[in-house]
Amino acid sequence: MGNRIFRAGLAGITVLFVGMLVWAMLSLIFMPRWSEVVDSTLSEEMLYSIRLSLTTSAVSVVVVMILAVSIGYVLARFRFPGHQLLRTVVDLPMAFPELVLGLCLLLLFGHDPLAGWLKKAGIDIVFSKTGIAIAQIFTAAPYATRVVYAAFRSINPRYEMVARSLGCGQWAAFLRVTLPMAKGGLFAGAVIAFARCMGCFGTVLILAGGTRMFTETLPITLYLNISYGNLAMAMTSGILLILISLAAIVTFEALNHEVVL
Amino acid sequence: MENKIFQTIWLALFLVLTGIPGLAWGGSEPLIIYSGAGLMKPMNELKNGFETRYNIPVQLIYGGSGELFGMIATRKAGDVFIPGAEKYVKDAIKQGLVRAEGQRSVCYHVPIILVPADNPGHIQSLQDLARPGVRVALADAKAAAIGKVANAILKKNDLLEQVAKNVVVRPSTTNQLLIYTATGQVDACIAWEDQATWGQAKGKVDIVRIPSVQNAVKTIPSAVVTFSEQIDKAQLFVDYIASAEGKALWKKWGFPIDKPE
Repeated sequence: MGNRIFRAGLAGITVLFVGMLVWAMLSLIFMPRWSEVVDSTLSEEMLYSIRLSLTTSAVSVVVVMILAVSIGYVLARFRFPGHQLLRTVVDLPMAFPELVLGLCLLLLFGHDPLAGWLKKAGIDIVFSKTGIAIAQIFTAAPYATRVVYAAFRSINPRYEMVARSLGCGQWAAFLRVTLPMAKGGLFAGAVIAFARCMGCFGTVLILAGGTRMFTETLPITLYLNISYGNLAMAMTSGILLILISLAAIVTFEALNHEVVL
Repeated sequence: MENKIFQTIWLALFLVLTGIPGLAWGGSEPLIIYSGAGLMKPMNELKNGFETRYNIPVQLIYGGSGELFGMIATRKAGDVFIPGAEKYVKDAIKQGLVRAEGQRSVCYHVPIILVPADNPGHIQSLQDLARPGVRVALADAKAAAIGKVANAILKKNDLLEQVAKNVVVRPSTTNQLLIYTATGQVDACIAWEDQATWGQAKGKVDIVRIPSVQNAVKTIPSAVVTFSEQIDKAQLFVDYIASAEGKALWKKWGFPIDKPE
């Protein structure tokens, strides 16, 4: 009897929560009329926003993966004082709100000395499309780093040692042994990074300003159109974001059985 | 046995999902007030004053005026609408969202040019906003009252197109304008006078006044939402914020009671 209550309780909580989650997502998807969704998707603003989201996220993912592989490798292979501290600092942005991260970046890139140097180099970050990518990179990097770090950790360092004993340099051993072995983890990291970049809101809003048809990515389209009281556009951008996340999660799960998190 | 567990779960689920709306939560329902985000400071104090005086709980929802407008239209609930400019109440009356009778204008809302402390862009007038190289922030005209008003002022002075070239960001709320000006990311923005009196802005921003012939001073209106289920209490709130006690609080936060020169 006790066992039955235990199982029924756990199953009940699971069904209730998952049911409400699915219900919430379906009610967003089925609330607007299909013609509204199609019209909104094909509107100039939405096409602009989709294109901008895809291009900035693609650039950001490349940079994020370079960062994640470097930092993940440093954390997985090198032993040094402050190792734990470094891990905490890298993980930190995951724990605080995106708006806070946005404000930090605004103060970093909008003030001297960095602002002055960037101006001399002709690079505009605050209120620009470059700013969108910077915001996405800082938001997504911790997630990708975590996944890549776990992938490197799961590979026995002995493979590299053997490679080096057979004449490989450290660079060659990394490139020809460790990197191919971590392939699944790297893909999973890139997928998560892409999903975070596409969905990144608060950081982009503060650093890039969220100006309509200029620094407008999909989550900003959602936010702006809520502000305008334009529900069809808002819901359509929401639906597009759900579909993108869904695709990302499915891909991640498909790759993830190779990676031990 | 498996069957029984699932029967129990489904029964529980059914009861929970159908039972919730019928449950009375007890206690009196709070008055829902939709307030423009720029009115946050006095509204918080007005809420406290009203609650102590009448013992009626109040819940404030802040947002851009357009956002609140959309919220009332979709939720068809809530009690009082207090946007940043009269136009929104007029539109709401036209659409049958708020009641024309009993509406009041509570105080004036004065547009000014807000510059970072020490005025690094040397802005003295509206004309200076059109000077090449000046970085200007204007609020999004569809989302925030101040955005619409700023456009109207610039248009009135034949500066709209010239200033548009200098606009680097169009955020959707007036508070975001303040952040960008206070942190020196822009040389100037057109904002409400009261914002300069807020605690966090003190010492970080300066005011450049717009002569009244060039300016467009607005009144802050308040009206009862048509869908309110406690119209009497809602009207009591509208009357309270326009009373002598209420007006003193508006004045404290920089909203003039008498029409400014």
